[in-house]
Amino acid sequence: MSNLHLKSVEELAPLLESKQLSPVELTKEILEFAHQSQEAINSYIDFYDDEAIKAAEKAEAEIANGDYKGMYHGIPLALKDNLYFKDKVTTMASKIHKDFTSDADATVVEKLREAGVIFTGKLSMHEYAWGITNNNPHYGPVRNPWDTTKMPGGSSGGSGAAVAAGASVASLGTDTAGSIRIPSSACGIVGLKPTHGRVSKFGCFPLAWTLDHIGPMTKTVKDAAAMLEIISGFDHRDPTCVDRPIDQYVNYLTGDVKDLVIGVNEDYFFKQVDHDVENAVRKAIDLLVSQGAKVEVVKIPSLQYAEWAELVTSLSEASAIHHSNLKTRPEDFGNDIRLLFELGELPSAVDYLQAQQVRRQLKAEFAEAFKKVDVLIAPTLPVVANDIGDDTVDLNGEKVDLINNIIRFTGPSNLTGLPALTVPCGFKGKLPIGLQIIGPAFKEGKVLNVGYAVEQCNLMEGKKPEILLANR
Amino acid sequence: MKLTVEQMLVSKGITPKEGHLEILEARWKEMSELRGDLDGIKIDDADIALKNIAGGDHHE
Repeated sequence: MSNLHLKSVEELAPLLESKQLSPVELTKEILEFAHQSQEAINSYIDFYDDEAIKAAEKAEAEIANGDYKGMYHGIPLALKDNLYFKDKVTTMASKIHKDFTSDADATVVEKLREAGVIFTGKLSMHEYAWGITNNNPHYGPVRNPWDTTKMPGGSSGGSGAAVAAGASVASLGTDTAGSIRIPSSACGIVGLKPTHGRVSKFGCFPLAWTLDHIGPMTKTVKDAAAMLEIISGFDHRDPTCVDRPIDQYVNYLTGDVKDLVIGVNEDYFFKQVDHDVENAVRKAIDLLVSQGAKVEVVKIPSLQYAEWAELVTSLSEASAIHHSNLKTRPEDFGNDIRLLFELGELPSAVDYLQAQQVRRQLKAEFAEAFKKVDVLIAPTLPVVANDIGDDTVDLNGEKVDLINNIIRFTGPSNLTGLPALTVPCGFKGKLPIGLQIIGPAFKEGKVLNVGYAVEQCNLMEGKKPEILLANR
Repeated sequence: MKLTVEQMLVSKGITPKEGHLEILEARWKEMSELRGDLDGIKIDDADIALKNIAGGDHHE
């Protein structure tokens, strides 16, 4: 079987279950492609070749014995390098933690392992997850498979690039201001930030405790839904984890949007957006309307303070975590994150608490909006991926600051903790555009179904990054 | 007394990297502008957001 790296989990799983495909054959092909694509996209930090083959042999024996565990059994994945693997190095893509070893698996790693996943290695990221470019001073820049002169987005840029290229069948990312959704959008894949508390963060190195989330980054919405089923659930080792039943998210994927009420917030989510991005998102909304959905305009006044509250909260929490190293070995941080850590020392306790009041009010206003609408739809990013190393981005002919603009539409869902999904919905030139679906707390099933309906519109026209073909 | 960015950092034992001070001052000014007056936000609400974490009090 050829070109296995192009396939999604939902395509591979029936082949594995029916024994038409061996996990060993699949793992070898993914590893071969991952190594081959490394020079072009630099998505991996570490490869686990030998262990992966052993795990694949084990999965093969289990499936042969009739012990098929489900959709992810025998699927090779690499994960972001801020998720701990027992007795393995987890670097956070940093110099300071380059030799850090954990004595336990992260909960999400443990759950995926139990589901039969084969781990092929660890993926690069923005240093300590504190940035959105993945232009890493210690491990080199990760490159966007759609155009290797462009950034993949971040901080989970290794995951975005690897999944888009086929160097990992799917992956996990972490998201504090958009770090799952930004690279997913920039790399043309599906990325889900679940409700805060839905997925345990035990064994994930924090960036900002109250804003961090872990979630799937996949080729398809069904892959994301199935992965969420595996990684969700209460864990007493994460004090922010919420104890409630796990949904069967795949069962929500009917694609039926008849009578769905889509909320559109023009004042915030459609302001200062690249014209091509806006057109692609509105076109997707129109397609949903043509299938029976309705659109309601919603007002969320506190969004005007969301950027400030997100910045104060994330800067303060991140600087608290790294305060000691900033005092004693600041030269070991990359220049960009050292600047952010310095900036995070400036807000006062009053600033921080006022930011939390903004956050509370924002949550209440979103809850009010969800009394009228089922989901909100917005662009994931106001722009597409920009050049590696450029701190500014072109927005309808104007050069604007990259970081402040790229997190504008993703940050509010970190403040509120609400589930948010990005799905690809078209292109600007050869670069993908993402559409974001935000839903009420714990309504990931509803959010995923809307994403599934968008996916069924085939707005990506089956296109794949050129690297998939160029390297074969 | 109003402390400069440099004084605030030095008072915490942090030595800003050469060339960062100007950028920090500009960024801090931008953040203050983003904050604005927080008009409409109940910043002195007696029901202060002590249980403020995103997973702590979801509205469902």
